[in-house]
Amino acid sequence: MNSQNVLPSNSNTHHNRNHHYHNLSRSSYNNNSLHSSFKSKSVCQLNCRYCQGVLCRRGMKAILLADTRVELYSTDAAPIGVQLVANDYVTRNCLCQIRDVACLGCGNVVGYHVTQPCEVCMSACNNGHFWMFHNDSVRAKERMDSTGQKPLLWAQLSYHDKASNTYDDECEILCR
Amino acid sequence: MLPTIQLNAYNNTTATKYMDNNNMSLLPVEKLKYNIHAWSSHSASYHPKNIMVNKPQDQSSRWSSNSNNHMQYITIKLDKMSVVKTITFGKYHKVHVCNLKEFKVYGGLSPNNMIELLHSGLKNDCETETFTLKYKSNDIVFPCLYIKIVPLVAWGTNFNFSIWYVELKGHSQQNVVEKIYDDYISYRENEVIRLCLKHFRQRCYLDTFNSLQQLSNIKLEDQLLTDLHTNLVFNGDFDTTEEILYKASERNLFNDYIKECKCIPVWRRITATDKNGNSPYMRGGHQMCIDSELGKIYMFGGWDGSKNLNDFWEYDENLEEWTCLSPDTSKDGGPSPRSCHRIAFDSINKQIYILGYFIESPDPNGTNMENDFWKYDIPSHRWIKLSSNTAANGGPGVIYDHQMVIEPKSQMIYVFGGRTQAKNISEDSYSGLYSYSIKEDKWRLLRSDVNQPENTVQLKSRIGHSMLLNPETNELYIFAGKRYKDFSSERKKNYLSDFYIYRIDDDYVIEVSRNYTMQGGPDAGFTQRATMDIELGELYMLSGLLSDRNSNVDTVKNILWMYNIKKNKWTKIYQNVNFGSEYNNRISDKEPCTRFASQLVYDTKRKVQYLFGGNPGEMSDPCLRLNDFWELKLERPNNNEILRKAKFHIRKQKYKEICNTGDYLQALKFLQTNVSEVVNHNDENESKEFRELTQFLFHTQKSSNTNNNENIQGRNNISASVYKERTELYEFLLKYFPTSMKEPLENLVDLVPMS
Repeated sequence: MNSQNVLPSNSNTHHNRNHHYHNLSRSSYNNNSLHSSFKSKSVCQLNCRYCQGVLCRRGMKAILLADTRVELYSTDAAPIGVQLVANDYVTRNCLCQIRDVACLGCGNVVGYHVTQPCEVCMSACNNGHFWMFHNDSVRAKERMDSTGQKPLLWAQLSYHDKASNTYDDECEILCR
Repeated sequence: MLPTIQLNAYNNTTATKYMDNNNMSLLPVEKLKYNIHAWSSHSASYHPKNIMVNKPQDQSSRWSSNSNNHMQYITIKLDKMSVVKTITFGKYHKVHVCNLKEFKVYGGLSPNNMIELLHSGLKNDCETETFTLKYKSNDIVFPCLYIKIVPLVAWGTNFNFSIWYVELKGHSQQNVVEKIYDDYISYRENEVIRLCLKHFRQRCYLDTFNSLQQLSNIKLEDQLLTDLHTNLVFNGDFDTTEEILYKASERNLFNDYIKECKCIPVWRRITATDKNGNSPYMRGGHQMCIDSELGKIYMFGGWDGSKNLNDFWEYDENLEEWTCLSPDTSKDGGPSPRSCHRIAFDSINKQIYILGYFIESPDPNGTNMENDFWKYDIPSHRWIKLSSNTAANGGPGVIYDHQMVIEPKSQMIYVFGGRTQAKNISEDSYSGLYSYSIKEDKWRLLRSDVNQPENTVQLKSRIGHSMLLNPETNELYIFAGKRYKDFSSERKKNYLSDFYIYRIDDDYVIEVSRNYTMQGGPDAGFTQRATMDIELGELYMLSGLLSDRNSNVDTVKNILWMYNIKKNKWTKIYQNVNFGSEYNNRISDKEPCTRFASQLVYDTKRKVQYLFGGNPGEMSDPCLRLNDFWELKLERPNNNEILRKAKFHIRKQKYKEICNTGDYLQALKFLQTNVSEVVNHNDENESKEFRELTQFLFHTQKSSNTNNNENIQGRNNISASVYKERTELYEFLLKYFPTSMKEPLENLVDLVPMS
């Protein structure tokens, strides 16, 4: 298995297959452009299944465009707990150039980054995420919103938070 | 904490006593049991105890630090005090960014006092790697109870360090280790006393010195040097001092010092021809061998830029004359034209062996792939075809750029590496290590490239490397060359700078260095040419193609390196400063232009290297080959030069002491005659030092008077300042003597902790 861009996936087996031809070059990407099906998805914190280290706090459950049987997690910005390793490669699925990412804690490969998406994938419905995590390498936990009662949704995340993809990018700790 | 006392200097008698431990190398090594003693940190479940089991399939079976700073370590405690000889690292079944690209291993009897045993790195692949550890220092074997592994760099920057599996091998048999321990402890005790003796004598506590010497019955130095010290420092008898040095030179005691001196390369172009005025044509990839006894060089084959050659030449060193033995050996029942073959000379039977060649264009039927093996009998001028198919006889296939050496006494030939050329064989098929018994006409495969004994140092095959045979120890020295990386899917070029010793007697591989470039040695390269002088214990290497770190293009440089076998030390002797055709033309008569694929042979009797031809690597003319012939001598200072220099320093001291007496007239006379005659006036520094000596003629007597009052304990009324000056001179003269004879190099005062 491998590769490339992803469709959003609902937590059940029902996959959203609405086609969605939007220009997803990263510079023009913004939160408003997210298709409504993405906006309603919950935000996950992803931990490494091997060393439990935090990999990413903006995870989204998704399925692979090229092979919809494959479930994985994706995110929209360089995650905090991983680093690119080795060289770019392509898989049988499509022409996307991808490169593995490894967990900074244990060094195990936990996903990949699409360094150069191919046209086919770009023209298909996708969530615009270029960082993917393998299902069997991560543990996901839904994040809660400020009330602590409801799951945090992607619609509530602002694009600007991407830069501050840190451990405490939301005010969980209150001075009270 | 006091710094560790260096294990070196020792005197003759005791050194041989400890040498007995060498017998240990014949004992079989065993796997050593250990426990984890201490560690810097670990992350998640990657506890250090995981390194005790080898589970390459399990990502969690490893130690992983929780930081990648330089404070990380694991300390292992052995079950029993042992002599630790090898360390083996197991790895994950896939590449892993946490593998150690660089690490150090320390060992010792306590965790606080360890010495470095290894500095190396692991490849980022899934293959288990074994390294030899330092277990003796200048013939003193030392036992260890603790081993500390210190990661320095991981393959992925920013990642933590992981060690998957560690296995240690060595000796833990109680009787063996106890003996080694006792020897080691008594060696250290002796050294401490010798350091004290040196200190007391240096500081002129002579009563203490004498009583310590009597009580301990330990000698500070060889009697000859004690005599030298007595005469020079106590008696101020400068004539006898000179006499002792003269006798020392007659006993060749300065040889160690001479070897250590930087040698100066002297090139001479030889313009010899045969009786008809002809000389060998230009070529590269040819072969030469030398008969040092008779002073004859033989040259066969090569590539002239457009075709293979099979002319056969002999050069007479005494007459400086070439003779063409055969313009075409195939017409005389000998081998066909070829290049990239190897030849070896049997100095006892005066026979030359020829094996291998490069196949230009393999024909699909394989008809031009004869694995032939030839012998040329010099006395009868006869070619003998030993085999038409060495592979069928259990030997190597058609190989090129391999190495072949001969051990004349046992009549054994050793062939290692080279690329095997055959139908349906990939380009990466390297030939292993073979032996050929001349007497039995029998090939034997000693090591194949792919199949080697488990958890031992691997002897990876290669091409364009060097191999030399030490007939005294029956060891093969193998280094450098080229090999494609196994693991990576891309076929990256991989020039090597590693050094192995293969012990023929017990089929054992010692890794001397995995990367000598890192230790200040030559850059990784291939097609270098190497020779050896067993008497001096030195290897010489003329570099060929070097990999340039900054580009993909190979560079050709003429760099001559010397390697001291005993000290495991590389020294650069010579390098062409510039290269390029313009420069090459300008120097063509002074020194050889840059080249590779040349041939270098060494006359062990006359101590001269001979270089012929090669490929200048000229971009504009790729077919250009060379036919120049060079002699290279490495000049070092001789006994007379050393004696002269020593005398200069001795007489300088005598002169100063005459000045101290106030007899300036006599001092001046002594300076003008006795001192002047031993000065090398061509040496700018020495000449300046000599001229500056005149200042002592104008010293007022007062200062020397005040000094004279502080006479020192005991002997002959010497002033403290004179004693100090003479001691300094004595220590200066010591540099000419071998380490085994003299007082320890270290000083007791340097052991005082300053923290």
